[in-house]
Amino acid sequence: MLLLRKFKILGHSMEPLINNGNEVVVSFIPYFFKKPKTGDIVAFKKKQEIFIKRVVKEKNGEYFVEGDNKKDSLDSRSFGSVKINDIIGKVIYIVK
Amino acid sequence: MLKRIVKLIPSGFAYAHCDIPCGIYDPHAAQVAAFTVIRMTQLLEDLKREGETKAEHDVARITHVKEEHSNILEDELETLRNDYFKEEHFKEFPNLSELFVNTLKFSAKARQGIDMEAAQGALSGVQEIAEIFFKTKGVEPVRVKSVYPTGGEIVLYK
Repeated sequence: MLLLRKFKILGHSMEPLINNGNEVVVSFIPYFFKKPKTGDIVAFKKKQEIFIKRVVKEKNGEYFVEGDNKKDSLDSRSFGSVKINDIIGKVIYIVK
Repeated sequence: MLKRIVKLIPSGFAYAHCDIPCGIYDPHAAQVAAFTVIRMTQLLEDLKREGETKAEHDVARITHVKEEHSNILEDELETLRNDYFKEEHFKEFPNLSELFVNTLKFSAKARQGIDMEAAQGALSGVQEIAEIFFKTKGVEPVRVKSVYPTGGEIVLYK
């Protein structure tokens, strides 16, 4: 597991905070000490791709995530909650 | 300083996608939207003011549809530009980037007024983008007569 990773964002579901083409820095370090919490923007694995969404609810160790741009986001509302093991880190910096 | 550090971090891609990346892209919806904008512009130009209230009602409805389909056109173009076309496509077709910019400008102009020239400009741009799209898919684009009341051609492939 890399402590820091950088991803170029493809898509619009996290607008207006994160725009298509922005880069974000993701780290798992914050989650060594505590669990993801509501409001965190997390990177997670789904269908062999990496996605970025915001945690809106946590229940029994599973995280319901949504895009900020709810009108244009495919997220837990469609594919269900994300397990902690699939979360690869927290977005700690947005390169704009 | 921070930006220098960020540059050193290993990089990849992540999706903040409106969709699970399924690879299903098609310029057809953009073309239909562009034709709709043309048709709504025609209807506004041809509107007969036989009764004040009815005319206002018709103008409101037609303008609403024109607005809606300009939005669809712009969304479809953004999806193609941001999600489908890749750096190598823009290199292979150096006019592609400018084509998107101009087509989006025509669409905005067609939305702002009753402007047939802009509406036709948007369609023309979409047709060129559609032709490039099909070329990147390895199929031969072809223009066929549309069956819409607007006349004109639609880009399909052989």
